[in-house]
Amino acid sequence: MKTLVLVWVALLALLAATAASSFVPLGGWNSAINLAISCAKALLVAIFFMHLRHAGALLRLVAVAALLWLGILFGLSSADFGARTISPAPWSLRY
Amino acid sequence: MLYAAAITTFFFVGGAAATLIRLELATPASDLVSAETYNKLFTIHGVIMVWFFLIPSIPAVLGNFLVPLMVGAKDMAFPRLNLASWYLYVLGGIFTVATLLAGGVDTGWTFYTPYSTMFSNGAVLLAVCGVFVVGFSSILTGLNIIVTVHRLRAPGLTWFRLPLFVWANYATSLILLLATPVLAMTLVLVALERFFYVGVFDPSRGGDPLLFQHLFWFYSHPAVYIMVLPAMGVASEIIPCFARRPVFGYRFMAYAILAIASIGFLVWGHHMFVSGQSLYAGLVFSLLSFLVAIPSAIKVFNWTATLYKGSITFSAPMLYALGFVGLFTIGGMTGLFLASIALDVHLTDTYFVIAHFHYIMVGGSVMCYLGGIHFWWPKISGRMYPEGWGRAGALLIFFGFNLTFFPQYLLGWLGMPRRYHEYPPELQLLNVFSSAGAVVLALGYLLPLGYLGWSLFFGRKAPDNPWGATGLEWQTASPPPKHNFRDIPEVHAGPYGYDPAR
Amino acid sequence: MATIPLASAEAGAERARLGMWLFLATEAMFFGPLFFGYVHSRLADSAAFASGSHHMHFWLGTINTAVLLTSSFTMAISVHGKERIRGTLGLTFVLGAAFLLIKGYEYGSEIPEVLAAKGAEQVFYLLYFAMTGLHAIHLLIGLGLVAWLFLSAHGRRAGTPVEIVGLYWHFVDAVWLFLYPMFYLLERYSA
Ligand SMILES: [Cu+2]
Repeated sequence: MKTLVLVWVALLALLAATAASSFVPLGGWNSAINLAISCAKALLVAIFFMHLRHAGALLRLVAVAALLWLGILFGLSSADFGARTISPAPWSLRY
Repeated sequence: MLYAAAITTFFFVGGAAATLIRLELATPASDLVSAETYNKLFTIHGVIMVWFFLIPSIPAVLGNFLVPLMVGAKDMAFPRLNLASWYLYVLGGIFTVATLLAGGVDTGWTFYTPYSTMFSNGAVLLAVCGVFVVGFSSILTGLNIIVTVHRLRAPGLTWFRLPLFVWANYATSLILLLATPVLAMTLVLVALERFFYVGVFDPSRGGDPLLFQHLFWFYSHPAVYIMVLPAMGVASEIIPCFARRPVFGYRFMAYAILAIASIGFLVWGHHMFVSGQSLYAGLVFSLLSFLVAIPSAIKVFNWTATLYKGSITFSAPMLYALGFVGLFTIGGMTGLFLASIALDVHLTDTYFVIAHFHYIMVGGSVMCYLGGIHFWWPKISGRMYPEGWGRAGALLIFFGFNLTFFPQYLLGWLGMPRRYHEYPPELQLLNVFSSAGAVVLALGYLLPLGYLGWSLFFGRKAPDNPWGATGLEWQTASPPPKHNFRDIPEVHAGPYGYDPAR
Repeated sequence: MATIPLASAEAGAERARLGMWLFLATEAMFFGPLFFGYVHSRLADSAAFASGSHHMHFWLGTINTAVLLTSSFTMAISVHGKERIRGTLGLTFVLGAAFLLIKGYEYGSEIPEVLAAKGAEQVFYLLYFAMTGLHAIHLLIGLGLVAWLFLSAHGRRAGTPVEIVGLYWHFVDAVWLFLYPMFYLLERYSA
């Protein structure tokens, strides 16, 4: 019960931090900070609210597998987008 | 069993479309159907065969029935979820039939953007809805199988005592769970783009068509393994039984299944070598594609090694399984041609590709689906099928299949592109062979429908274990009682306790 | 690995837990293309995304995040509690409904700007509506489940159904934790 309250307070504090950070111009770091804080919040929710702390290896594996597979989707697709030569059509709005 | 009926129906609808395609292609000119009708035919053939037949065939029909039996459980982990999954399948099917009634779609089963979102006049939204809904049906089936394998194994049934059929369906379910939702959401984006006229995938509106291709193939390459892994599982049950030998290298077979399932997620870019994808990414995808060949080859070698010094009975299921091994090997080897970028540039979108994936999907999955249906027919229906007819059917299908698709390798090598309803006259001879083969194949598929239907009513009553097979499913009555077993069995040994001497 | 006999209640709970986690894994993959579409489209035209983000209601979004986090907190207390969990379940429902009402108000006020958008900004709005809309649909289902718990006998004491609905609720909350900075916080300093 006490941990739950602490987690809740921590979540709200992180929310305040992420909201405040967006008013400080830091270039690319703004997104990095936002992403890191979101991950931290999601981890807090998963570990304490969703009981991953007490869960068996199997449930943890399921949780990690989902993230790993999202990582595959993001990683290999970005491998293309990051390394592509772009030859836009004359009418393209892009680039 | 509800599944079997629904899936058979769709198989014959999709097959009818295929027959029409081949009939049109019997002559170089366009005479039977118009270009638009032809486009709609191959689209509906692809959509139905992929999502309404191949993907659900073995996991939903045989898996739902056999996995609980093979792990010694009373039923699936969530029986009501199972029924829900069937209803979703039917709902998806209704959407697809509605698509047909609304005039069909002409985008190809791949729904490539921006054609599907901006230009096509077909009933794209309806078709997309159908695929979306049937996707959730597969996801629920997969979820059910995974929980069943994890939680409902009989006492003593450790992971490495599971039959390979269970391993294969387990790995397939993992793919269903991790890949299908990506396709579902991608199709939602296609629908939104088409409906609101906003271009996530359209370069002239700030989008990127390759984004669609990446998302689509992230699902659709692993989908090939959804179709072929369960087939491998079926072959791994039939071959040891009729060779009277334990599977050679059981553990490696299990590891190979898991390896194929996971490496299969890393190779989708080989469908995009000529799409404008980065050359470096193409290189990586090409290398990774070659890697899948390793566990696949392990499986082929182990099946052949299982046959070595066995006392082989050429029953109908065995003929199907052996046909599968041969056709899968040819399909897999030609896949290596396509995984090499330099060759693929020449062969992309030709009949070589068509022949390749039909060898894997029809020569692989359909052969084993039919083999499995024959092998477990006594268990499912409690009746024996007529063995002579069964063997004739298997041989006819094998012959018809090769006559249909082998000429297509040659046609593709000569440069005949896919998805055209006309072709130059010098290619007619091979096309006529192929079309003739399609007719033989169609007859071959009608044959089992006939005699299996007959045996349902007039077949000889089946004993509990007609093949002298090991495996828990043969230790209960044919057909199994309501809760599968009278007493929950206990397991003390691995799955393939065959002895060649007997 | 010990196998659990079929009939016991704990075995049922184990099955349900694994089933729900697997389902949440597919849900994560379901959101995947949207998230990747966002990353890709934003990298292609970050200026359009920033200007789209400036049309969002910063305060409403922030308050809504706090509301949703608190609803997750009350849900966690319900799962944790033994008896008399109706109060916290009811509170969870109210907070979830409040989130949807605020979101609905935002949607309504954004329509004119959306219709005026062009090019990549349209893509921003499509992703915004698709992602927050899908999230809202999930929350709506969650509300239905919580209402069912509240009205049925499960609301009297914590048990497996409360725990399973809780898992789903927290997952939906966690998705929002990513959506919030993605849409509301882009280059706020220059707004
Ligand atoms: Cu592929």
